Amino acid sequence: MLPADDVLVYRFRTQDEIDCAAIYADGITDKELLGQLVAKPLSLAKAPTTVEDAQKLLYFPETKIATDPNMACAEILAGNPALLIGKIADAIVLGTKKISVRAVMEPQTSITVKGPREGFIEDVKTNMSLIRRRLKTPSLRFDTVEVGRESKTFVAIAYLDNIADHSIIKEIKQRILAADIDGIPDSSYIGKFLAKKPYSLFKQIGTTEKPDILCAKMLEGRVAILVDGSPIALTLPYILAEDFQSSQDYFVSPYRATISRLLRLMAVIISLFLPAFYVAAELFRLQLLPFGLLMTISSGVKDLPLSPSLELFFLLIVLEVLVEASVRMPKYVALALSVIGALVLGDTAVKAGLVSSSAIIIVALSGISAYTVPDLTGTLSVIRLAYVVVAGSIGTYGILLFTALIVYYLVSSDSYGTPLLAPFSPLIKKDLRDSIYKSDIYSLNTRPAVLRGKNKTRLKVHNKKIAEETESAQ
Amino acid sequence: MNKYWTRIFIAIAIFLLLLFFSNDFGLIDIQKTAVIAAIGIDSAEQENLLDVTIQIAVPDQGGNGKASNLTIRNAKSVNEAITELNRKTGWYPSLVHCKILLLGKKITENNVFDVLNFFLRSEFIDDSCLIAVCETRAEDALHATSPIGELTALAITKVLSSEAQKTGAVSVMNLRDFAKGYYAANTSSYLPIVSVKQEAQSESGSPNNGSSQSAFLPCSIGLNPNNADTYSLVDSEPVPCGNFWSFWNKLFPLKRNPLPICAPCSQQADAASQKGSQNTPNSDIFEASKTMLFYQGKQAAILETDETLAFNLADTSTDYAYGMVDVIQDGKPVTYCLKMKISKKEQKLKVSGNSAILNFHIRANAQVADSDSAQGVIDIAQTARVPEHVLHAAEEKFKKELDAVMQKCADCNSDIFGIILKLYRFYPSRFNDLQENLLQNVKTSYDIQFDTLR
Amino acid sequence: MDKIKLRQICFIFAVMIPLTKTIVYPATLVYQTRNDLILAALGNFLIEGIVLGLILFLASRTTCTFFDLLQNTFGKIGAKIVYAIFALFFALSAVLPMMEQKNFVIQELYENVPSVISFAPFFGLCFFACTKGFKSIGRVADISMPIFAFSFTAILLLAIPHADFTALLPFGATGAQNIFNGCLHSFNWYTDCLYMLFFLGHFQYEKGAAGKIIGSYTIGALAVLLFLAIFYGIYSDIAVLQHNTIAQIPKYTTANTSLGRIDLLFIFALTLVMIFTYCIPVQMCVHCIRKVFDDCSPILPSAIINLLLLVLTIFFNYSFVEIQSLYTQKLWILFAVFGYGIPLLSLLLRRNKNTPQTEDKHE
Repeated sequence: MLPADDVLVYRFRTQDEIDCAAIYADGITDKELLGQLVAKPLSLAKAPTTVEDAQKLLYFPETKIATDPNMACAEILAGNPALLIGKIADAIVLGTKKISVRAVMEPQTSITVKGPREGFIEDVKTNMSLIRRRLKTPSLRFDTVEVGRESKTFVAIAYLDNIADHSIIKEIKQRILAADIDGIPDSSYIGKFLAKKPYSLFKQIGTTEKPDILCAKMLEGRVAILVDGSPIALTLPYILAEDFQSSQDYFVSPYRATISRLLRLMAVIISLFLPAFYVAAELFRLQLLPFGLLMTISSGVKDLPLSPSLELFFLLIVLEVLVEASVRMPKYVALALSVIGALVLGDTAVKAGLVSSSAIIIVALSGISAYTVPDLTGTLSVIRLAYVVVAGSIGTYGILLFTALIVYYLVSSDSYGTPLLAPFSPLIKKDLRDSIYKSDIYSLNTRPAVLRGKNKTRLKVHNKKIAEETESAQ
Repeated sequence: MNKYWTRIFIAIAIFLLLLFFSNDFGLIDIQKTAVIAAIGIDSAEQENLLDVTIQIAVPDQGGNGKASNLTIRNAKSVNEAITELNRKTGWYPSLVHCKILLLGKKITENNVFDVLNFFLRSEFIDDSCLIAVCETRAEDALHATSPIGELTALAITKVLSSEAQKTGAVSVMNLRDFAKGYYAANTSSYLPIVSVKQEAQSESGSPNNGSSQSAFLPCSIGLNPNNADTYSLVDSEPVPCGNFWSFWNKLFPLKRNPLPICAPCSQQADAASQKGSQNTPNSDIFEASKTMLFYQGKQAAILETDETLAFNLADTSTDYAYGMVDVIQDGKPVTYCLKMKISKKEQKLKVSGNSAILNFHIRANAQVADSDSAQGVIDIAQTARVPEHVLHAAEEKFKKELDAVMQKCADCNSDIFGIILKLYRFYPSRFNDLQENLLQNVKTSYDIQFDTLR
Repeated sequence: MDKIKLRQICFIFAVMIPLTKTIVYPATLVYQTRNDLILAALGNFLIEGIVLGLILFLASRTTCTFFDLLQNTFGKIGAKIVYAIFALFFALSAVLPMMEQKNFVIQELYENVPSVISFAPFFGLCFFACTKGFKSIGRVADISMPIFAFSFTAILLLAIPHADFTALLPFGATGAQNIFNGCLHSFNWYTDCLYMLFFLGHFQYEKGAAGKIIGSYTIGALAVLLFLAIFYGIYSDIAVLQHNTIAQIPKYTTANTSLGRIDLLFIFALTLVMIFTYCIPVQMCVHCIRKVFDDCSPILPSAIINLLLLVLTIFFNYSFVEIQSLYTQKLWILFAVFGYGIPLLSLLLRRNKNTPQTEDKHE
């Protein structure tokens, strides 16, 4: 049943010479604990005759009786050794799992200047503890399921019982349990099962690596899914506007937060439309360019071998290649390759007359702008390429038609009953307060209506009164 | 999205990529486009034919536009000329950046809409483009070398800019307004007259037809004090300003006690002039201080520079202007230069009995910008105050010029003040009775008041 | 059930429908009525507004859909026949706007004349929109509202300084007959009240709903009237030359600035809203066909209708003037009957069998 070489058996005897054996998986079991808390008390005492007696004898808080050998095997492979004593038929499973995990540290993908710096790690138990530390309420629930025929991955569905919509929780559980897959290497696999439109270009599930963000989302009424082995937590329902929010927005003044959000929106618009309109202007509508700019661009593109559309397409592909390479390349060659990327592909290409400097500026600006909303970068880069193709084929009208298509698609998409474009379409006035602009904390006294949580009130009005009284007293 | 939709999208994507990479279904990109910056139309030597000069903006290495002029001679129509351009050069002509249409003077002897027809029909040229008449041939104007940039069209456009209009220096007109005038009941309109002054002339001291003297040396253009209305280039930037100043000196000439040009300024002007002439030999400057009146699409009369200013102050969007006023002060002739800010302008047509009265209601604030007689320190300290008699003199001068404009309009039937339209719009019941000879019969009353700080 | 929100209906009338009257309509109206275009347009708005008001009165009295009302009165077959006729009407009424839009696109978004291939993808989009139902119409209206409000205001602000409103004087000088004809021959642009008939039962009528919708309609009407006034103020005697009006009026402020034709961005934004608006009649047509065939899948009817419209657009590619003349001079009776006659007659339909309303939280 357990033929693996890393499954070992530790044999010892009780005081009255009865044989005992602890079967454990090497590397993921804490052998010291096993010796100190299990083998030592048993070897100093007479052999127990029942499982219950044995449990009392052990200096161990986390024990479980395994009557089924399969269950015992699963526990052993999860790092919890099974203890067999003399003629007792059942095994005792001991919770001495010891898995090497990295430290809780700030995630690379969401760095904040102000605010908490903790990030999730690969160990789901640690992640659960990070959440529990922030939400010390009995309403916080972790419903756990095991997914993966071979991997037996531990998945926790976290939610606040008094806030979250239970129909969503039910549906999430059903979808996760319906997934009969051999293994779950990462939470994104679970994400695919939870997505209602798996072919969609757009994200359908929120993700975060930070416990503070996750807790804030749960307080809004969302449900979180934690997967063992993945530092990325999933949140549902998802709306597009949440990717334009940053945790930092809640730690700075609402004015600053509003400006940041508007900048992000503008950056996304620039990122998507600038290359496309550049192509459309050059090929179909010169009037889009002011005369001075037209002259500058004309002088740049004169005698180029590529047409404007192919030039932009080519540069966007180069940009994607650079991004891919810079993510994967070893750090010690990154600097050298960056120089090559910037100088050879940029400056030299212009000097060699392969591309125009204006096109490089457009692509660079577009590329940088996309990173103002890191969660959408992947989607944006694909759509941007599509826009350039459409603009190069049909021009400005193509851009507008493609935009209309995206709008139709987005307005008819939802995430577990929550419209993807909420609170803009359908327009939900109350939720606008924390969308494209951010109101002060007193105005955000209710949870987002779009999430249809049970408990609407976040902030009681009397707090505001106190604040106003304090202000007037001053 | 189900597989059905996925397949559709894949098909669309393949189709688009095909279009994208084939890149050949009638589009003409920037590399093959001739960006036309200006079009000049002249009468050809042969009757009923046209010489069309097309100025193409060709970008140089620095990204600036360089003028490349091409004249198509003996074309039957503008469209034929533009087609010919395409045929001769292989470049696709783009008119969307055509900012100015220049008409040769001879063209205006016949109905100019015979040639402007094309521009009204074409969707590919904006009727926001400026339009002007050249004092001689449009071809010459477009071939002139601009001291501002290398693109003559841009230089002329600046002379005819809305900023120039605001100072009253030029009566700016665009194609839409010109057409509106022609197709309105009064079939009247006007165009600025662009003339080209060669810088070389000023240096050699050749005489010009102006009579002004320079008291004010603006940053851009200096006036030779010995030679009236001759120009020397100082700085290439603010030509509209220079144009305005030159125009203003013409309008209010200093007949007595010409102010000497201050030495440093003069030196600077000379130095820069030399520099300018070194860099851009034979550069020309443009002036558009006169206005041509049109009736039924043909030239009817010309407003001189002073009349143009008066017309602009009374009718167009001119906001402020400078003007010279001569008065006798302490038995001595003194010339004041006033800066006038128009605060209100209104023309009202009233019909009483069988006569129509056009009332000009104009309010302006004036302040002394300069005078040609030395004054006490208190007077200079109170420079914003204009003496009462100077204000009266200014009002009288303005009325006189407006009278002259009205008389010219009556003589040539060109209703540039829109009197006929006003009659139709505000007194439709009397329109049929009074419209005949309205311009000749209309009486004019003036309610012009210049004010100053009290 | 395919639901739409009251707010979204308001947005459709306030911000989407006015755009259909900003392309060829102003010039066509000027051709008939010269400076009295405002009076003729006002007449059209009043007629349409009254019909809209009556449909809203009907909405306040019933929770049935128009189909249910027809079914109550004429039986299912009768209702299907009426819906089939309306499907034809919607398809017919979509042809001229499509061609208007095609000319607008070709003239304003391209400098070099492109082949019809540039416009054809519209039908692909329309096909996609038609498969989405009323919910998508409503949600798109939510998106359109800020775009329209911002861009339309910007365009009017850019245009106003160049408008001479005295050009609209003297009122009524063209004569009652011409104004009446102008009004009559513009019926094809004023049948949008009909949408309300088909929204019956698809939205929850609440207290003050009629006021809100009429208010939105009035806002839309005022926007159009202001637009027409500015348009005539800018062009007066050459107004008849100006097609694609919305793209023409703001250029005088921007053309000679160093930023260039910045107004084109607003025009593009409005073109996007226009695209959504021109999909509505086709979506209505598909809705009717689906009802005729017992709520069948929308894919096939959408494909057929859009293919048909594409073929018609290609077929009449060079016959816009003829089609426009046909619609305005001859077919006004048809538009009057379907746009105003049938909605009025629908007040007489039996309303006794109420169908229950199911609330959908996020339309």
